[in-house]
Amino acid sequence: MSIGVRSRAPRVERVGSTRFRILALVLVALCLAGMVWSRLAYWQIARHGQLAMQAQAQYREVVDLPAVRGAIFDRNLTQLVVNTTVYTAFVSPDQVPAAWRERVTNALVSIIGADQATVMTTLASGAQFAYISPRRFTKDKADKLTALKLPGVGLEPDTQRSYLPGISSGSTLAANLLGFVNYSGDGQYGLEAYYQKQLAGTPGYISSYRDLANQEIVLGSHTHLDPVNGSDLVLSLDANIQYAAEQALADGVKKYNAESASVLIMDPSTGGIIASADYPSYNANNFAQTDTALFKDNVSSYVYEPGSVMKVATLAGAINSGAITPSTVINDPGYLNVGGYRIYDWDRKNHGNINYTYVLQDSLNVGAMKAMLAEGHAAFYSYLQGFGLTQPSGIDVAGETTVPPPPAGQMADAQYATASFGQGIDVNMVQMLAAVNVIANGGKYAPPSVVERVGTAINPLLLQPQRQVISPSAAAQMTAMMENVVQHGSGYTSRVPGFELDQTAKTGTSQIPVNGQYTQDVWASFVGFLPAQHPKFTMLVVIRKPHAAGSARDWTLNDGYITAGPIWQKIAQAMVVDWHITPDPR
Amino acid sequence: MQVAGSTAAERLHLSSFGHAYLGLGAVLIAVLFYLGLAAQITQSSYDIAQLQSQQSQLIAEQDQLRYQEVTLHAPAQVQQQAAQSGMQRNVPTGYVAGQPVAIDLTAPVGATTGDATPLWERAVAAVINTVGGTRDVLAATR
Repeated sequence: MSIGVRSRAPRVERVGSTRFRILALVLVALCLAGMVWSRLAYWQIARHGQLAMQAQAQYREVVDLPAVRGAIFDRNLTQLVVNTTVYTAFVSPDQVPAAWRERVTNALVSIIGADQATVMTTLASGAQFAYISPRRFTKDKADKLTALKLPGVGLEPDTQRSYLPGISSGSTLAANLLGFVNYSGDGQYGLEAYYQKQLAGTPGYISSYRDLANQEIVLGSHTHLDPVNGSDLVLSLDANIQYAAEQALADGVKKYNAESASVLIMDPSTGGIIASADYPSYNANNFAQTDTALFKDNVSSYVYEPGSVMKVATLAGAINSGAITPSTVINDPGYLNVGGYRIYDWDRKNHGNINYTYVLQDSLNVGAMKAMLAEGHAAFYSYLQGFGLTQPSGIDVAGETTVPPPPAGQMADAQYATASFGQGIDVNMVQMLAAVNVIANGGKYAPPSVVERVGTAINPLLLQPQRQVISPSAAAQMTAMMENVVQHGSGYTSRVPGFELDQTAKTGTSQIPVNGQYTQDVWASFVGFLPAQHPKFTMLVVIRKPHAAGSARDWTLNDGYITAGPIWQKIAQAMVVDWHITPDPR
Repeated sequence: MQVAGSTAAERLHLSSFGHAYLGLGAVLIAVLFYLGLAAQITQSSYDIAQLQSQQSQLIAEQDQLRYQEVTLHAPAQVQQQAAQSGMQRNVPTGYVAGQPVAIDLTAPVGATTGDATPLWERAVAAVINTVGGTRDVLAATR
């Protein structure tokens, strides 16, 4: 018994110990397996997406198929922008033997104009890859470089927008209107930015599989998406008129020692822009080396106080509302007290009894204020809205800037008074020209636009119904008053031979405010259309800070009729010749 | 199949080495076939790359030519060439102011209402024309 007891007791212990051990081993195994499984689950499930992408990236190759950017044509289908292939040189310094460095450097310096010291430093660095500046050179240079068969030197082709030459080597035609395309292919400024989506199109791609030797697996599944090329734009612009306008502007700015100048020409019946020029401008083919301040389009992105040009809108509204007629007589003592301010005519003279034709002809502020008061604040404000001077013009160019006037109820009496003759109210040139164009277009507002067609589709802006702002009769009366400005008033400087009795004009000169105070610097402007009865164009010229000879003694020598008028005349004359415009039959 | 295969081997009196050679030969043929195919693919790839390179070169040349063509018609270039040739833009010196028009433009268009010549004049003219022959008045005008 004792032996049996002795022999059984250790057995029980052993069985318990074995079970414990098995259990422990199972637990350890389960733990280890759990760790492996959890790690496996982590890689297979949690990281599945990322790893699948990495794996695909190893054997799948996606080649982008770039879309061809649309071209831009003027109204005569003259191409204004061309896509050209340019090249960038790169070197692999580790593949250029030391004995070849000097030869490679000399070639790069002489052919593409690279900096000698920079190239030598790059080649001596032993790096694997480096671009050589300047980048984006023409094909003939690339061909010369290729012919030399230099070791470790390669060429990378790229597409570049090339713009037509302008009036000088420092500018391209209509640079501020067209904008440019940066190295990433994105349109910057002007039409290139506004129509980026339509011009750029949609790039495509080819996706295929590669083996370990980086060879395409021909039988592998291919994914192919064709690129959709960008649409061409056809503008209402006329390249010849644009060029003439740029030349006249440049001459005017130099002659009158001005800071800058702009011109905008519009088709009276459609609102299509025939020319839009700024001076100084820039070379869009060389945008990378250009002062960014020059990129701004002063036609649509610069607000100014239009001065007496505004009287056209003021008097037209007052005539249309029946408050005045061109022959209504008023007394003009040379000033008017409004809202606690005494506001003078430009000459501070007593003009006695005069009619409104004379008011426009002699550009008298008192007359404009009395016309505004005769129709009332509310009617005046509603005409400002009707002429499009309280909201953006909506022109299809990137970056239109406007400063709307305060709401009608918040404008003080003095603000209404000064706004009637174009001070204390800010507009851009597009707004102002579109407003004056109402007179040329028989009282209808033509929404301004630059593009006529996008691909084969007509610009929706051109299909909008034109709103009738004033009656055709009021527009005709205003036209006659504006003709009188050329025949008997300050508009004489714009007379085009043969059209003396057939053109309209209004001059404008407004002092530029700085820190709330008006200075002696002015915005001088000149607007008009021709021929008066059947206008072919409406044109606005604005010249900023002119300093004409003798203006230090007499600042009125900077007036619009002296500085902007001759520019208007020069461009109008070019248009008459180019478009074969004849005077209205009598 | 194995039976048939072994029977064939027996008939060809192939030893175990023979089997190995046969296998090796088959592998060699397969390798040669693969190499041939790969060489053909490589050649095709090379040709495609060459053609693509030529195509891009031609496109670049075409772009360059198009830009040259467009630039030739650019107003700046036209003016420069005109100036080099001694040509100047014609500036209008003036238009002659129109005199009142003698013709009534508002008159209805069409044939006149009829010949108002008296009947006796027409009869005399007919006799004279018959006797003396009709004169072609328009033919005498230049």
